[in-house]
Amino acid sequence: MKAGRYVLAAVLFFGLALAQKTITLKAWTIGPDDPSITRLKNLEAAVERLNALLEIEGADYRVKLEGDFDTTDWDPYLRRVLLAFQSGEAPDIVQASAAPLIGVWATAGYIAPITAETSKYGTFKDVFPTLWNAVTFKGEVFGVPQDTEARPLYFNKTLLKKLGWSDAKIAELPKMIERGEFTWDDMLAVAKEALDKGVIERGKGYYHRPKNGPDFHMWYRAFGGTSYDEATGKLVFDQQAALRYFTWLKKAVDAGVLEKDRLDGNWSRFHENVTSGKVLFFSGGTWNWAEWKTQWVKDKGGEDWLWQNFGFAPQPAYKKGGKPITLSNPQAYMVSANSKHKELAAKILAFVMMPDLDARHAVGSGHLPVLQATASLTGDRFIREVSYLLNYTTFAPQHPDFPKWQDALYRGVSAVESGQVSPEEAVRVVAAEMKRALKDQVMIK
Amino acid sequence: MRRYLTPFLFLSPATLLILLFFFTPVVATILLSFTDLSTTTFKNPSWVGLKNYQDLLADPFLKKIFLNTVKYVALTLAFNVGMGLLLALLTSLVPERYGDPFRALWLLPRILPPVVYVFIWQGLLAEAPMGLVSDILGVSKNWLVAAPWTVVILANGFVGASFGMLIFTSAIRSISRELFYAAAVDGATTWQTIRRVVLPMLAWPILFVTAYQTLSLLTSFEYILLLTDGGPGFYTTEVWSLRAYHLALSNYFGNVEFGLGAAMAAVLVVIGVVVSLFYLKIFNFKALVTEPKIEIY
Repeated sequence: MKAGRYVLAAVLFFGLALAQKTITLKAWTIGPDDPSITRLKNLEAAVERLNALLEIEGADYRVKLEGDFDTTDWDPYLRRVLLAFQSGEAPDIVQASAAPLIGVWATAGYIAPITAETSKYGTFKDVFPTLWNAVTFKGEVFGVPQDTEARPLYFNKTLLKKLGWSDAKIAELPKMIERGEFTWDDMLAVAKEALDKGVIERGKGYYHRPKNGPDFHMWYRAFGGTSYDEATGKLVFDQQAALRYFTWLKKAVDAGVLEKDRLDGNWSRFHENVTSGKVLFFSGGTWNWAEWKTQWVKDKGGEDWLWQNFGFAPQPAYKKGGKPITLSNPQAYMVSANSKHKELAAKILAFVMMPDLDARHAVGSGHLPVLQATASLTGDRFIREVSYLLNYTTFAPQHPDFPKWQDALYRGVSAVESGQVSPEEAVRVVAAEMKRALKDQVMIK
Repeated sequence: MRRYLTPFLFLSPATLLILLFFFTPVVATILLSFTDLSTTTFKNPSWVGLKNYQDLLADPFLKKIFLNTVKYVALTLAFNVGMGLLLALLTSLVPERYGDPFRALWLLPRILPPVVYVFIWQGLLAEAPMGLVSDILGVSKNWLVAAPWTVVILANGFVGASFGMLIFTSAIRSISRELFYAAAVDGATTWQTIRRVVLPMLAWPILFVTAYQTLSLLTSFEYILLLTDGGPGFYTTEVWSLRAYHLALSNYFGNVEFGLGAAMAAVLVVIGVVVSLFYLKIFNFKALVTEPKIEIY
């Protein structure tokens, strides 16, 4: 009799197991920096937790995630995503920069609005409110904030000391930048002095990224430019601000502070020179800190070496008393429009919004958390000390044509820096290129 | 009717392939170039007529890119054909057991995957202490950035030269021995033999290599993409086909313009056809394919 009951139980159990469906969802994520692998790992953890809950609820399905983490570069990744969207084979969840990609992809109809889902789950309520702006397009929420970051101006404390700066003066530098007392021109003067006194090699007074990216838009804004007009919803190109920015670049190259071939496309060379302590000032991202810590100065003492040698501040203002700036390019998880499991995808995203996962990603990859609860949870010194930069942050405009705007500006920067055209000519060239590429979507001021 | 059946049967496979893989893409490219297809309009592209071509003409950088293309094709072609000819002549003048391994060596760049090949170049040209060139010259520079055109042309040329080398070598080998004996009997020097016997017999292979390489250089950009991506700086090494690729498939935030890229590609097709006709004219193609007046058996 007893045996019969076991058999019955076994039949029931296996019967249930057979009846249980496995729903497979695909997710594509990108660093491209290695430490950001938690963008995928967190999704996997969320699926595990969701499955545990489904187990308790006795649901008749489980979820399986087929994830992919890209470490190549944005360009090939976005091309792959685009081709997948166009062939109707996009993964259910895609992670990418919130602005302006949400504007681009929502306009194209590739991603689905998830406004209802984001108000349904409680975990979304703890997200920093400003971040929702970055994932909202034309009144609908098209993504879930994944992380954010800031782009500091780093400085090499050891080199400043060699130049005769006292510890107190070095510690005061970020405050001076915040108050608008230390401008781009001051930075240029300090770097020039360092070059003249032999503290640095030629061209290593100031480093910026070696290829196109959102930072050039940030520097244009640091020099007083605006890029978007709220009233008309059009992009803006301020020729005076661009001229100030380009002129500064030219002065820096002429002074031997900035390499003429800084835009050499080589990130390794950037990190190599910065972490061997050769570069005085350098603009980077908070995630660079994690890369340096785990990949570049690991043998020299890791993060301790970074704290001893590097300091950070917002990007300076261009005139005395001006406001410094940084730029955040928040990442978002989006649900693709052709996904058969949109509800479920949104549910997974709700499970990803957990402070422990948020903290794990932030600390591990040098990004800033998206949940308010996380900040108090993590004891990480870098996250704690760098987070104030968000007070100075700006975002890329959520305009579908912004990528073309950025490309045109970048061409101008590359033209001036390489010495091929004068700053004035570069402004004209950029304005002409914007008019060609953006038509009535840009206002040239 | 029956008369045409056999030729039709023989020609149809090749014709089908040409229609499918050459003709259809050209038509598709031209059709695409009349639309505003881009990332954002992919689902509802509209017909815009010649607008993309007007946009191209209005592009302030187009002249620079065009001149870059001319420079790239002309210089690389000169290197490819010249070096290919030189290698073929030199390796034919020495005994085969020395010539063959040397030719095999020159094939290495061609059989390497482009990415690996470019990595090697980048490694060689990096700053000291990593870069071999910097080490040897004693001047630490990123040579790729210091002399981008030289690098682009050499990197392409080392791959391209082996093509000419192979074709020319086999052409030289197929020259009848009697002609060399006759030249020797007449007391011709090596140079005179090359000038008066070998080169005239190579006219057809040289036309073929020149025409083929011109067309492939016009459309090839993979080594430039990997080496410099059109940089450093402002469109320094950006050529026509790379620009078309950038417009149609590559943008930092992924908003690409397929229609405009297709218009650039369509212009390239026209240039390719014009160049081919020009070559056929100057090399007197008709005379080359007529039956020879003297046959040597």
